[in-house]
Amino acid sequence: MPLPQLIEEDLRVLDDALATLLARCEASMAMLIDQAGFLITQAGEVDQFDTTTLAALSAGSYAATQGMASITRETTFNSVYQQGEKHSLLIVNVDESCLIVVVFRASVGVGVVKYHTLAAASTARLQLQVARQRTPTASLDLAAMNLEDSCSFFRRKVNTT
Amino acid sequence: MAIINQATKELQVKIVYYGPALCGKTTNLVQVHDHVQAAEGQKGKLVSLATSSDRTLFFDFLPIEAMSIKGFRTKFQLYTVPGQVIYNTTRQLVLRGVDGLVFVADSQYDKMQENVKSFQNLEENLRTLDLNLADIPYVLQYNKRDLPNVAPVDYLEFLLNNREVQVPSFTASAHKCEGVFETLNMITRMLLHKFINESQRKAA
Repeated sequence: MPLPQLIEEDLRVLDDALATLLARCEASMAMLIDQAGFLITQAGEVDQFDTTTLAALSAGSYAATQGMASITRETTFNSVYQQGEKHSLLIVNVDESCLIVVVFRASVGVGVVKYHTLAAASTARLQLQVARQRTPTASLDLAAMNLEDSCSFFRRKVNTT
Repeated sequence: MAIINQATKELQVKIVYYGPALCGKTTNLVQVHDHVQAAEGQKGKLVSLATSSDRTLFFDFLPIEAMSIKGFRTKFQLYTVPGQVIYNTTRQLVLRGVDGLVFVADSQYDKMQENVKSFQNLEENLRTLDLNLADIPYVLQYNKRDLPNVAPVDYLEFLLNNREVQVPSFTASAHKCEGVFETLNMITRMLLHKFINESQRKAA
């Protein structure tokens, strides 16, 4: 299921859900990501972590877990939890397109984080449904995209061999 | 599938480098990472989930932002797959949400069978995700052209690009960074034009 077209109202609701999650369980950072690894929105101490890479790795980790679920004849493992010494990480499924990733101090119990993350996931799921129903086939007009010098989107540095 | 975020005017695109084991997929990403001109914050870290012998275990990942596109923040996420045959499930996972593909072929004569099998494996894996190669922009890169025992480009074209619609192909020596940026720029251009055409068609 592809991610629906999100407008500012959607992002505001999703951001609020993440902010509420952080406030209630004192997590360090939370983000909503696409299951292909794209970062959709984030909240908290995002400067402390490389969130782009964390999103890609979290999506990969969750996808691998689904493979394990299939092999063990489970329908799904709907979360992934990693406990660390300083920080722990929880990945929770939102729907077929999205995941919530939460980083929290290791001293915080995973139970409370999971409880509030599931609530945030529920809010996000509902808002994504709203977005899908609003404009099921919508796509952004990309005519504003100016492909200047389109031969070289990426250029090689001059003084390299 | 790409994310086009109207709220943040951001486009996020996933490109996967596919091909047989040791064909140079990771080398392509390493060269892009090492040599690309990028402003502060436009290039992320190259992450490699590899074995102790530097063989890709899960994927390599490089986030990078195109510098010459105005109007949208255009972020590209470059992935490689593990080439070894046993890691097929992993390749399927990495292909999830793919927007564009670079098939890296090893030009050495004795690698032709592996190239063809890997290409067939790509088509099969896309089918498991309900995707069709014909619907996804892709380019071919004939790598390792600096080695002595390489097959002629025409032969590689016959094996891998002998289709109703031929796709762009590039010769490369990725470890010297030859052909790497040409390949990346072509798949980028094909992807962006596809997105623009689709958005205009829907708007019409």
